[in-house]
Amino acid sequence: MANEGTHNVEDLHLTNLTKKFGEVAAVDDLTLTIPAGSFFALLGASGCGKTTTLRMVAGLEEPTSGSIHIGQQDITNLRAFQRPVNTVFQSYALFPHLDIFENVAFGLRRRKVKNVDAAVNSMLELVELAPMARRKPTQLSGGQQQRVAVARALINEPDVLLLDEPLGALDLKLRRQMQIELKRIQTEVGTTFVHVTHDQEEAMTMADTVAVMNSGRIEQMGHPADIYELPKTAFVANFLGQANLFAGARTGTSSDSIDVVANGINFRVLSTRNSAPGDEVIVGIRPEKMTILDLHDKDTIPSGHNMLEGRVIDVSYAGVSTQYLVETQWGQKVTVFEQNVLVGDRSSVGDPVVLHWSPDHTFGLAGGETVLADTAQILAVGA
Amino acid sequence: MTTKRPEAVAAIAGQMRSAVSRRRLLQVAGIGSAAMVAAACGTGSDDSAGGEASASAAEDKSDTEMVVNWSNWPLYLDVNEDTGEYTSLVAFEEATGIDVTYTEDVNDNNEFFAKVRTQLEQGQDIGRDLVVLTDWMAALWIQSGFAQKLDKALIPNSGNIIPRLAEVSFDKPRDYTMPWQSGFAGLGYNVPALQSAMGKDALTSLDELFDPSLKGRITLLSEMRDTMGCILAWKGYDPSNFTDAQFEEAIAALTEQVDSGQVRQVTGNDYIAAMESGDVIAVIGWSGDVIALGEDFGFSLPESGGTLWTDNMLIPALAQHKKNAELVINHYYDPTVAAEVAAYVNYICPVEGAQAEMEKIDPDLATDEYIFPSSAMLDRAYVFMELTPEQNESYSRLFEKAIGN
Amino acid sequence: MAAVLPSAGKQSQVSAQRKSRTGYFLLLPGMTWLAIFFAIPFVTLFMTSLQAPVAGKSGQYVPAFQVSNYPDALAEYWPQFLRSFLYAGIATGLALLIAYPLAYFIAFKVGRWRALMLVLVIAPSFASFLLRTYAWKTILSDEGFITSFFNALHLLPDDRILNTSIAVVAGLTYNFLPFMILPLYAALEKIDPRLLEASNDLYASAFTTFRKITWPLSLPGVVAGTLLTFIPAAGDYINSELLGSTQDRMIGNVIQTNFIEFRDYPTASALSFVLMAVILVMVFTYIRRAGTEDLV
Repeated sequence: MANEGTHNVEDLHLTNLTKKFGEVAAVDDLTLTIPAGSFFALLGASGCGKTTTLRMVAGLEEPTSGSIHIGQQDITNLRAFQRPVNTVFQSYALFPHLDIFENVAFGLRRRKVKNVDAAVNSMLELVELAPMARRKPTQLSGGQQQRVAVARALINEPDVLLLDEPLGALDLKLRRQMQIELKRIQTEVGTTFVHVTHDQEEAMTMADTVAVMNSGRIEQMGHPADIYELPKTAFVANFLGQANLFAGARTGTSSDSIDVVANGINFRVLSTRNSAPGDEVIVGIRPEKMTILDLHDKDTIPSGHNMLEGRVIDVSYAGVSTQYLVETQWGQKVTVFEQNVLVGDRSSVGDPVVLHWSPDHTFGLAGGETVLADTAQILAVGA
Repeated sequence: MTTKRPEAVAAIAGQMRSAVSRRRLLQVAGIGSAAMVAAACGTGSDDSAGGEASASAAEDKSDTEMVVNWSNWPLYLDVNEDTGEYTSLVAFEEATGIDVTYTEDVNDNNEFFAKVRTQLEQGQDIGRDLVVLTDWMAALWIQSGFAQKLDKALIPNSGNIIPRLAEVSFDKPRDYTMPWQSGFAGLGYNVPALQSAMGKDALTSLDELFDPSLKGRITLLSEMRDTMGCILAWKGYDPSNFTDAQFEEAIAALTEQVDSGQVRQVTGNDYIAAMESGDVIAVIGWSGDVIALGEDFGFSLPESGGTLWTDNMLIPALAQHKKNAELVINHYYDPTVAAEVAAYVNYICPVEGAQAEMEKIDPDLATDEYIFPSSAMLDRAYVFMELTPEQNESYSRLFEKAIGN
Repeated sequence: MAAVLPSAGKQSQVSAQRKSRTGYFLLLPGMTWLAIFFAIPFVTLFMTSLQAPVAGKSGQYVPAFQVSNYPDALAEYWPQFLRSFLYAGIATGLALLIAYPLAYFIAFKVGRWRALMLVLVIAPSFASFLLRTYAWKTILSDEGFITSFFNALHLLPDDRILNTSIAVVAGLTYNFLPFMILPLYAALEKIDPRLLEASNDLYASAFTTFRKITWPLSLPGVVAGTLLTFIPAAGDYINSELLGSTQDRMIGNVIQTNFIEFRDYPTASALSFVLMAVILVMVFTYIRRAGTEDLV
């Protein structure tokens, strides 16, 4: 049987994993290694294939092709109940006829493990539910049920713990709390967590590694900050946080940077931050990286900065920051966040302004207008 | 017109093969409704029964309402199988202008009585102007004052009644009733099956019926008088005049046959289907039913004797259209009409002169001993002894216990 | 309802009283319904069961308190009582064995054909109970292929099925099968398939998942189905009448005979009452045993 004896955590490998429903590939030739002990987030809009990937790892869905390994062990053809993998289901799927204790003990009893009581009690301690042991699931709040679901899976000391939108059903405040809680538990037990979510903020807060999935493929994978600071595709730039993107063409190349002209304006992109192989380049910048200035103060902009003129069409004050919506001469709306560091002297609607930012924050992406349009559409549908 | 058979009845009748007579339909079919009155029957009024009470009459609306409501047993009236119309009844309606609502809702004497008993006891009209009941039930109705005296002046044909039926013990001068049809209870059998089981072409005695070679392949009638009449005669007693001890002896004989597994089942009308399917080879059954089954089947009155019963038309107390009902009776005592009915139902015709009329319809039937029996045959057919209510109850209990109830 | 707090003022007490009175008025239709369709027949039946016969008048009874009707009826008819419960019990067990896989199949396996399958299950009920039972006489006929088949294997003690206890139990099983299938289906259909996945994920094989998850969660359906099958089957008389022999009479036949043939209403009522009471006791014991109270 799986998962008996000493517990060595090993990497999870997905190799050329494909799942087709009819003609549609939900997961398309996915190859991926999830390091042992990491908190890994699969992030994507609904229908991107992330849940299907998870279900294939759990054994609830059979791959059309490809393989799944844990360390050296091929688990592709093992039945769900034979895999050293456990799942925290989206709706928790707690057994309504069993009390909390028996729900948590379920996996141990199936494997005829000894000392079930002690194990269950200490697990309930870990998720802070010891007093609830004899209650039925329906008598618990959503957050408590969620913790039971985690405990029920974790107690089996799986090689990999799969979490399928585990916080989706909770309200915002509880979700924040549970994010921290889950992270704490993961750190404590050291098990590999694979977390499927469509919530980019959740993924970034909790995961060591985030993989952004789109149309059955992984668009980009890495540490949350790395992906955020340097997205490699228009989809990632938009899905993970916000980005202002301008489609243009490369006009020149210097030793460390390229020049791109978009809508008649010249932008400089550092070569290290450009992922566009050809002459079609999308210039991108995160809203909080821009500085907004009154047009009169244009000459105070440091040389070498990219800049853009426009007119403020909306101002929303949000405490720590203010969000401006600026319309460019060609009608594109650009979002800018400004920290409310200074008191007073904010731009207001109708003001002519100039936006500027450093090339260190500018990134270049492959693609043109059509890519922008497609991305916008996917996001609109997927959300 | 109301003289068409209702669709549902026609459908069931069709399923069970038509052209068979009235006892065919299952008695259990009506029991649900009988049970409905269970609660209502709780306190039986104790002032109505006992002795011969005279029935109350209602104001006769016959002249203003040209209708009559008639309840009879299923498949007991000539039907044109193509149109579904009752031929003789249509003739009556055309001749008199009276609309007849003919309902085949008498499936069992006891069950029908249970259905209307409360109304009768509480002095209410049961909504029927003419009903057809077997001798002993008719006797109970007359005794209880639930039947009205007939106005013979309106029934000039009543003189056509065959002499043997002109007087019965429970209705001496036929003041209250006129016979509808009579029949024998005796031995019915499937000829080819009998041949292969015991090498005979016909059954003539109950000894043969109870032969081990027919074990589990015979049925008896759940009508106590018919089954017990045959057994009493077999035991050498007179079914028209017997003692308690003789009845008990006959019951013991019955119990022996039931317990040994010789008797497969004791049924109401079901035995015909069982004979047709071949499950049952021989029965104590009713003449008209068995004869209607056709060539492969035979009926005989046992050598020791069988029973003769009569179903009687009578007018319930407080019937609204008494005169119209009497006109119906008169119509069916016309020998021509009686012959038409007899040709269809195969039972004994109670009307003098019908035999001559039958010559015109079907000469074979005119000589049929089961429609127009000879006196030699009638000598072996017993009318079951008239029972007091107490006897009826205690005999019924003995009988039902013997057959598993 | 509308409890009055000690600190409440006079006015609120009045309005609370009015409220509680309104509550009772709202109960009125339900209570009337209960009275008409349950209490009155029930009380009448009970009173009838205690009536005494009028001497010398068969079929006539007067109100009395003749408790001996009960022991008398039981002494006379206990074999039919036992037989009824035995036959109904076996039929219920068989119905469960047949219905469970079928309901499971419909609930989990047939997908969009569910509605059609359910209609097929119920469709026979559109024909009259009586005609369906008649049909079984043909099916189980001595010359029919079923009887021939079992006879070829020498499995039938009387060389026949029709007019034996086997036929009665088979008829009961068949006739009440929809009452078993439908509640089972309703219970199974309610089970979230993700629970089965969760169990599978937690090291339970398909069989263990059935034993530990599906079966316990379907228990309300099992309880409802067995009750809905057992209760009418125990009181049924048509199957025994049409498919059985004189050795197979059940309590329903006896009640019918007492009621219609003997016009012995007190005995018939007493028997009905005992049947009702025994079933009630069995139902309560059973429900408690099955422990479904907190499931449903």
